[in-house]
Amino acid sequence: MTAPAPAPRLPFERPNALDLAPLLARLREQGPITRVTTPAGDPAWLVTRYEEAREVLSDTRFSRQRPDTEDGPRISTSALHTRPAGTPEEEDREHARMRRMLAPAFSAPRMRRLGERIGELAESCLDSMEAEHARHPDRAVDLHEHLSFRLPVMVICELLGVPIADRDLLRGWSERIAALYGGEDAAAAMAEFEAYVAAVAEDKRGRPGQDVFSDILAVQAQDPSFTEQEMTRLAVGLLFAGHETTSARIDLGVLFLLGDTARRDRFAADPQGTARATVEEILRMAAPGGLGLTRFAREDLTVAGTAIARGEAVLVAINAANRDARAFEEPDAFDPSRSPNAHLAFGHGGHYCIGNSLARTELQTALTALFRRFPGLRTAVDPHSLRDHSERLAGGLGEVPVRWW
Amino acid sequence: MVVNGGRRHERVEADAARCVASGQCAVTAPLVFDQDEDGQVVVLTAEPVGAAAQQAREAAARCPVSALRLRPAG
Repeated sequence: MTAPAPAPRLPFERPNALDLAPLLARLREQGPITRVTTPAGDPAWLVTRYEEAREVLSDTRFSRQRPDTEDGPRISTSALHTRPAGTPEEEDREHARMRRMLAPAFSAPRMRRLGERIGELAESCLDSMEAEHARHPDRAVDLHEHLSFRLPVMVICELLGVPIADRDLLRGWSERIAALYGGEDAAAAMAEFEAYVAAVAEDKRGRPGQDVFSDILAVQAQDPSFTEQEMTRLAVGLLFAGHETTSARIDLGVLFLLGDTARRDRFAADPQGTARATVEEILRMAAPGGLGLTRFAREDLTVAGTAIARGEAVLVAINAANRDARAFEEPDAFDPSRSPNAHLAFGHGGHYCIGNSLARTELQTALTALFRRFPGLRTAVDPHSLRDHSERLAGGLGEVPVRWW
Repeated sequence: MVVNGGRRHERVEADAARCVASGQCAVTAPLVFDQDEDGQVVVLTAEPVGAAAQQAREAAARCPVSALRLRPAG
């Protein structure tokens, strides 16, 4: 008798930041769902095919929170995975309130009105790239530092009314809370981040501003069931998700566009006209992070004929699903003309990312401005030498050296 | 039957009961969809043609809660 092969441990080894882990593709070919080991060392299921990924993400029999029991599977020791969970009823109530409260603030019409301001901020980032080049004419300029990190953090700070001067604090906490092996340090960073947010809230209660954070506090003031902990958790979540995820996709999007000179030139010739479809293809292809979206079964159920027991963890590998040949022709080719491009970058179902309009607007605006200013942009290193920070929940690149001269 | 360049018109239907106000449709297909003050879907163009029809198909395929349908008009 042979022992069953041990379930492979996430995150899987990948060759660079642009290509997926080869093991992910192999597992997807073997079946839609497979046993894996989480970064914390516990058992979980991994869904790698498109249809099944959509199915799980739409299924309300799954929770996003780990069951509140001692033996529930741990995903990682990131502070975003170890927060205390409420009951399913509390989770649903908190989620419904969050969407009701934030949907207007992050709606497409509001984002369109914000587009001009995002454009101004993007131009200021490009100015800082030029200034950096003038300071050190012989060195490549780091796109990540000057644009991909800076723009989304500026935008989310303005939206929430949080001082941009604190961006390095926000960056430090965001990196530490999302470290998959962060453990005590991740928990300490979360405590600092929450204390910071609580202090900002206290200040805003005295002097409300025209910002989303003040709106949240106004809702909280009318709703006794909206606890202080829920409020700080929401604000931390918005600050974190508001820049980490978009930042990685600006970096990766630029790398995809620069991967082929003809592709770059086509985009640079008409950024405005092609940005919408190009951004959707970037969202499909960009695959920062190695875990996917986390769900826990609220009851015994089956996925693609496989029995999942109540309390078990199911990780939905949207990066693998977005390159499933059953759903996308030539899935590893970058092709902005594919239609429909129903990728899962923002998830699917009732938890679909509420910030999707903001992210789409930022990406379209950033790429349009960048290639208008620097149509001859190119990478200063081999893009295949750049690595994804897969040890962080949202992944992402550390630097993207470029030249345009 | 309505005919437009050999292509049948399609009618856009949005199911308000399913809508989760993600705004995906309004950003994908601004010629066809918008959002009201609460973020709920609003159909601007019930029978889109040309570029708008293409946008509508894209938005329907991408709707996270399958709240959008395109049916032959008439």
